[in-house]
Amino acid sequence: MKRLLLALIGGVLLLPASAAAHPLGNFTVNRYAGAEVSGSHVFVRYAVDLAEIPTLQDGSRFRRPGAATRLARGLRLELDGRRARLRPLASRVALRPGASGLRTLRFDAVYEGGRAGRMLSLRDTNFAGRIGWKEVVVGADRGARIVTSSAPSRSASDELRSYPRDLLRAPSDTTAATAVVRPGTAEGVAPSLGDAPSDHRRGGFESLIGQDGGAGVIALALVLALFWGAAHALTPGHGKAIVAAYLVGSRGKARHAFALGGIVTVTHTIGVFALGLVTLALSELIVPERLYPWLNLVSALLVVGVGVAVLRARLHARGHRHHHHEHQHRRGLLAVGISGGLLPCPSALVVLLAAISLHRVGFGLLLIVAFSLGLASVITGIGLVAVTAKRAFARLSLEGAFVRALPALSAAAIVALGLVMTMRSLPQLT
Amino acid sequence: MRRLLAAGAVAAIAATALLAGGALRSGDDAAAAPTSRQLIRVGFRELDAARRTGEPTHYGRAEEALREALDGDGQDAEALVGLASLANSRHRFREGLRLARQARRLAPDTAVVDAVLGDSLVELGRYDEAFRGFDRLAARKPGLTAYSRVSYARELLGHQAQAIEAMRLAVDAAGDSGEPAAWSRTQLGKLYFSQGRLHEAAAQYRAALELRPGYVQALDALAHVEAARGRLRAATSLERQAVAQTALPQYAGFLGDLYRLQGSARRADEQYRLVAAVDRLFVANGVATDLELSLFNVDHGFRLTESVARARRALAERPGIEAEGVLAWALARTGRCGEALRHSERALRLGTLDAPKFFQRGMIERCLGRRAASQRWFHRALRTNPYFSPAWAPVARRLS
Repeated sequence: MKRLLLALIGGVLLLPASAAAHPLGNFTVNRYAGAEVSGSHVFVRYAVDLAEIPTLQDGSRFRRPGAATRLARGLRLELDGRRARLRPLASRVALRPGASGLRTLRFDAVYEGGRAGRMLSLRDTNFAGRIGWKEVVVGADRGARIVTSSAPSRSASDELRSYPRDLLRAPSDTTAATAVVRPGTAEGVAPSLGDAPSDHRRGGFESLIGQDGGAGVIALALVLALFWGAAHALTPGHGKAIVAAYLVGSRGKARHAFALGGIVTVTHTIGVFALGLVTLALSELIVPERLYPWLNLVSALLVVGVGVAVLRARLHARGHRHHHHEHQHRRGLLAVGISGGLLPCPSALVVLLAAISLHRVGFGLLLIVAFSLGLASVITGIGLVAVTAKRAFARLSLEGAFVRALPALSAAAIVALGLVMTMRSLPQLT
Repeated sequence: MRRLLAAGAVAAIAATALLAGGALRSGDDAAAAPTSRQLIRVGFRELDAARRTGEPTHYGRAEEALREALDGDGQDAEALVGLASLANSRHRFREGLRLARQARRLAPDTAVVDAVLGDSLVELGRYDEAFRGFDRLAARKPGLTAYSRVSYARELLGHQAQAIEAMRLAVDAAGDSGEPAAWSRTQLGKLYFSQGRLHEAAAQYRAALELRPGYVQALDALAHVEAARGRLRAATSLERQAVAQTALPQYAGFLGDLYRLQGSARRADEQYRLVAAVDRLFVANGVATDLELSLFNVDHGFRLTESVARARRALAERPGIEAEGVLAWALARTGRCGEALRHSERALRLGTLDAPKFFQRGMIERCLGRRAASQRWFHRALRTNPYFSPAWAPVARRLS
């Protein structure tokens, strides 16, 4: 119970540990500027990776329209000594969870700089005075060649995606480069925005969302999600004991076990989606550090509400046991299924939010469904074991008051869990 | 707050000097696994970077490097003094004292060890011990490290003129280039400011900015001068530059105050939120911020009850006059003025000429119904420094 509670609160806070912090430090503004001579034309790839504090200070500027144009003013591309106009072709903004419930922001843009000359220089004058990783790269393709260059042709940080971690070396601090190039004759091709950013720290289920590639990878990701869901069901807190006890206690059959699995899948999927959507909707209106405590409270109250509803249904059903047995049985089944699937597990929520921030919502949803199915399959399996072992249990006369009270007890446990969560969320509110 | 900064800064400067010495001895870098000498150098570089940029994650990296350097037998005085200085930077002064003592056993009569040890003692409220150590240090090895600490000791004892004299020596010792030159001038300016000598203070800050354009500590200090002169727009512009460069809580907090004084509650709140966020990151990086955060909250009337608890914790961890003063102020603002008075007396026990603490004492006396006494304290605050706070100095003037 305690572990579940911690996992849940942790999940709602979206990896609050400092382990998720920006790898280069919470105050850094990290920039990558890459000039690409592609055939006869020059393009510029620009990326800005804001750590937690600059995101809080300046993040909104990047999310307003025209950010790419404004940043272009601080980028000086000179071709044969004349400043070239940088025309934005594409840009993208992504927010990611960072340390202490704050967020980090990554901005990507591609610019067209016109026809290449022999001399090329690129200088990044944005964010003067801010600490961070600063990198300038000059590359060439499609028949263009670099004769000499003060800059490397490849990024040392994979364009701010993975910073070399070397205690002995200070972060790269280059903001300008000059090169002599030989442009090609072919038509240039604009570079892409590059891969969407992944989270600073990933593991297990969460890392699946960053996977790229074709059908094989997707299928593998789905299988892994299924597996993770199944593994997750084995961790404490998904009401397996309650499921087993319930099926035994209420003379459940195999089809009831399957029904239970289905209900768990559906409620778990819906729960994750709902919480994810609420998070997204609210994060546009409220700064995150204000939002998370409230989100904790809302999810806690949600759990209390469901617990109370289930408890009421139970108490009501007990009063009419002999008249509506089949009806009560179906309702009880539903309630147990809901209580097993309602608490969305944090890693599933993180996957969904990550998918949304990566603009891969569909894939994220698919993964959540697979995850829920894995979860449900284990619960169904446990239910089937309970049902087949029913005869053995029956001899032990488990039909006692305890087993009959079990469903109500489980509902009471849900209420208690919700109340504990509520109490814990209250002091965090401002 | 400025004292703490000063202590941390001096410790880091001393550490950098030590680092330079270490660099001379260690020769060329080996290509293979880093030697403990290289690791120590990295550790001090990170400590210095933390001080210059305010970036708290440097602390973690400094600790990693220094601990690894110490890994062999735990008997490296340089690594130990680095870790002591790191602990002080994180306001964990008991740990700092323990580590500095370990270092002293290995390297007795080393100036930088004594300096770091003294820094811990000061913040733990063991002033006699600390000041004796600083005097010995100054006699044995005169220089920036010693002079700046002697100046601080004299300031705490209320000997302002002698404190200025010692800081002048520190400025001379720092020379005309490098960060210590700008730092010592800024500190000298702050001593002038604490006496209300705005013109002389501003001259020092400008000198620091000339040596190092955009030097963030001087920008912030100059913003205080402009605010004291009533030029809020100029002050805002300077403080904004400081916050844009280094979002330290004290800078963002003062920028928020400037916005509030100009009637822009929304912008002020933005900065106050930034203060809270940066504080969380400091805590996540192992820095104890109870004292600073409760002072900020009490000054702004935020979370007063919580601040009393925080200030009590701060006093338990750092039983010096700073924590006494913050707890007194927190208690006064929650109406517990009898208890506040006891702590205020202890906060002023060294005879420090600290205008904000005089003002706070005035508020405590007023709350206890002692009108004449409160007016005396308000007068005393304004006589010490009529510009001690753009928010509170007008209150003192109204009530005195």
